[in-house]
Amino acid sequence: MSVDAAALQTARTGAGAAAPTAARRGRRSRLASVGLHAALVTASFVAVFPIFWVLVTSFKPDARAVSPTPRLVDESSVDNYVDVLSGARGDFLAWFGNSVTIAGLTTLLGVFVSSTTAYAVSRFRFPGRRGLMLTFLVMQMFPFAVLIVPLYNILLALGLQGRSLGLVLVYCTTAVPFCTYMLKGYFDTVPTDIDEAGRVDGLSPFGVFWRLVLPLARPGLAVTAFYSFITAWGEVAFASAFLSAADGSKTLSVGLQVFIQQNRTEWGHLAAASVLVALPAVAVFYLVQRFLVGGLADGAAKG
Amino acid sequence: MRAFLARHWYAYAMVLPVVVVVGALVLLPLAQGLYFTFTNINEATIANPVLDRPASYEFVGLDNYVNVLTGGESYGAFWSTLGRTLIWTFGCVLAHYAIGLGLALLLNRRMRFRGLYRVLLILPWAVPPFISVFAWRYLFNSQFGIINQALGALGLPTPVWLGQSDLALFSVMVINTWLGVPFMMVTLLGGLQSIPRELYEAAEMDGASAWQRFRDITLPGLRSVSSTVVLLGVIWTFNLFHVIFLSTGQNPHTRILVTYSFERFFSGASRDYAVASTYGVLILSLLLVFVTIYRRAMRRQGEVW
Amino acid sequence: MAEVAYVNASRVFPGTPPVRAVDNLELSVADGEFLVLVGPSGSGKSTALRMLAGLEDVDEGAITIGGKDVTNTPPKGRDIAMVFQSYALYPHMTVAENMGFALKLRGVPKAQIREKVAEAARMLDLTKYLDRKPKALSGGQRQRVAMGRAIVREPSVFLMDEPLSNLDAKLRVETRANIAALQQRLGTTTIYVTHDQVEAMTMGHRVAVLKDGVLQQCASPRELYDRPANAFVASFIGSPAMNLKTVPLTAEGARLDGLVVPLSRAALDGAAAEGLSEVTFGVRPESLRLASADEDGMEMTVELVEELGADAYVYGSVRIGEHPERFIVRVDGRTPPAFGQQVKVTLRDADEVHLFHPETGLRLSA
Repeated sequence: MSVDAAALQTARTGAGAAAPTAARRGRRSRLASVGLHAALVTASFVAVFPIFWVLVTSFKPDARAVSPTPRLVDESSVDNYVDVLSGARGDFLAWFGNSVTIAGLTTLLGVFVSSTTAYAVSRFRFPGRRGLMLTFLVMQMFPFAVLIVPLYNILLALGLQGRSLGLVLVYCTTAVPFCTYMLKGYFDTVPTDIDEAGRVDGLSPFGVFWRLVLPLARPGLAVTAFYSFITAWGEVAFASAFLSAADGSKTLSVGLQVFIQQNRTEWGHLAAASVLVALPAVAVFYLVQRFLVGGLADGAAKG
Repeated sequence: MRAFLARHWYAYAMVLPVVVVVGALVLLPLAQGLYFTFTNINEATIANPVLDRPASYEFVGLDNYVNVLTGGESYGAFWSTLGRTLIWTFGCVLAHYAIGLGLALLLNRRMRFRGLYRVLLILPWAVPPFISVFAWRYLFNSQFGIINQALGALGLPTPVWLGQSDLALFSVMVINTWLGVPFMMVTLLGGLQSIPRELYEAAEMDGASAWQRFRDITLPGLRSVSSTVVLLGVIWTFNLFHVIFLSTGQNPHTRILVTYSFERFFSGASRDYAVASTYGVLILSLLLVFVTIYRRAMRRQGEVW
Repeated sequence: MAEVAYVNASRVFPGTPPVRAVDNLELSVADGEFLVLVGPSGSGKSTALRMLAGLEDVDEGAITIGGKDVTNTPPKGRDIAMVFQSYALYPHMTVAENMGFALKLRGVPKAQIREKVAEAARMLDLTKYLDRKPKALSGGQRQRVAMGRAIVREPSVFLMDEPLSNLDAKLRVETRANIAALQQRLGTTTIYVTHDQVEAMTMGHRVAVLKDGVLQQCASPRELYDRPANAFVASFIGSPAMNLKTVPLTAEGARLDGLVVPLSRAALDGAAAEGLSEVTFGVRPESLRLASADEDGMEMTVELVEELGADAYVYGSVRIGEHPERFIVRVDGRTPPAFGQQVKVTLRDADEVHLFHPETGLRLSA
């Protein structure tokens, strides 16, 4: 994991960084080195510990999870996972499937429409271009969930209320503005010469987009996909409003609320379910993390 | 007109899907939401297709705005809530930026385990927020949370972190800082890596100290990235409801504008859509004013976007 | 194979005021000809090329390729191939894929593509690199891939936009010859854009000089050198540049410091007809020489000597009227004068002078 990422880092910073003289000049004193690593270890600990602690708790029975003297291992077993997965507390697997479908579709659709839009905005100077970008900025300013009532009416009119597709479309609208900004920044870094060479080689403007620019913007697409996925994966408010109340059609984030009751939270079970929910997100994250650094900055810098 | 279409039709074809979806699912609801702010719509007056009950809400003019802006407690104490919202927003964004920049600067050095550190530090971003919030509530729990256990073991006071006091605001800000730092860090790290090495080398030739290089090259080099992420950060944080809502529920000590809007929307028998929408419109207006001023200030500094 | 013609073609960039990047360009290129568009940056040469490629709109006039009006045809319908300054190789494709891409788009069978790519690769000495990505190639190799990509298509016209400007000096000279030879062999009509007048002179059958979007002169390199149509072309073509000075006219000729250059009757009459008391007088460095002590000549103070081996160029100042003016003289490389030395300069041959109108810059002498 670390080797992979580190190798990429060297590739990114380029040959200049690898020059031997630079390495010698850049050498730190022992003290500075210890301080640097100490700071990063502390920060990493803070970043990881809450998640780690959920993982630890997920193996404990509910009663031990609230023990006043927390220990790393306390009657730990995989019982919580068995309970959650067996469907004793609601159809976890169905929720999971729904979430995967909805987040997957959101990612696919969100990345697709934001990439076409971003390409148009990056390459063509058409009337309305500025207005579109400003609309995207303004779209992020309104507390979206306050639109639930009007949205409900519209989805009802379109026959999408209670259907996954309706929720997917709503998620797309929340993800698209940021994704478009980011991809635009990314497309801006692809030289227009490439587009022109493609035009001369016989591609239409759409062909240029599809066969040249998209493959070249893969890192940017990865980051966008990650963002869309995360947006849809953990969302609660829309999911509870726009999906039917039947247990089998809930998403994970809605379904998990059964473990949180008014006065007694089933911490052990909740932890186990959380770990199961977090795993796919972390997996997606791991797949794209090596693209994150370049991708986001390119987007933000030129946004 | 023909020439116009011939020139631009592919651009329009490419933005069409987004324009249609945005139009249908954002602008239309937005217009309707705006209209709601001039009515007394709530759970009792809205059309209910299940009960086959027609809509009975009425136009009430600016009543909602007057009620909210006079700052009455029963309408969410607008002004004090606004103050808390500003503390929350700027506190969080400042923490995000400062910590994110600090970590990005550390990560931008060549060293061992750099890739590992980076993955670990971005991890909070990958975990769905409602799970992170759950994790923190568990850590912050006043009886069995590990934070209080540790404080107790050291003989320090063990406060109720997420209770009915201003400490709760501090706690949710800590949680949100933890959640938001990775995005800032990653973006700023990318920005740092895009500053040409030659600039640092030239500055070193000119005899600039490490601090001078940071101030005169790093910070200006990050300006365009910074101005964008700070703007987005402010907008997002101002409107961030789930962290507060999931951490403390309806707690007047952590109430910000957007969470109050949700309170009116979701809870209570009345479900006051009109007041919720009024808050929404006020939030939008405040952010529009902020963005306008911000962009003007940035442009004055020579930023073009 | 095809001839190409610009028919009063203009490109106007919107703005206040609008910029006429290419202004009423009237130019035809014969089938199989190698035409070079040359000019300083901002002269519109690249825009003119991109108009031909279909990458830039033609706002007025028309463009024809092979007699067919292509003014509104998209690039893919023009049967052209282009080599870009940055090469614009597709980074995600191998060399072979880059070269075969256009054929693939046209639906040419795979075996045939492979064959053509292999042939072009042999021609360009790229066979070893066919499976590499552009990133793994040197600058010269990338340049050859860009050439290969154009050749494989067997287009009716090659367009080249400063294809050598990213190469180092030695490679540039070598590639220059290779491109010219290749064009000769393939016999494909070629339009070549450069800012480098040496490239223009050495490669083109004809050279078109542009300035501010306006065609100044289109002629063979020899003609361009010997009979520049105006002062701009005279100063742009040739290195070091022609000495161009505005000097007073006398009854016998043009008066320089200590030297009256006799002018032909025709030239003097022409100037007189225009009512001129001054002319822009041009003489190339190689048309000047150092004079012996008893000859007439301009007094020059040597300020710089550039030794090139066989020759040396002497830069010095000469007083013309009140002002010191810089002159460049080519001298024998073995006996150059020293810095600070006073020398006398005279013409090798009174015929090798060029006269231009001091205001319009147009050529006066026949």
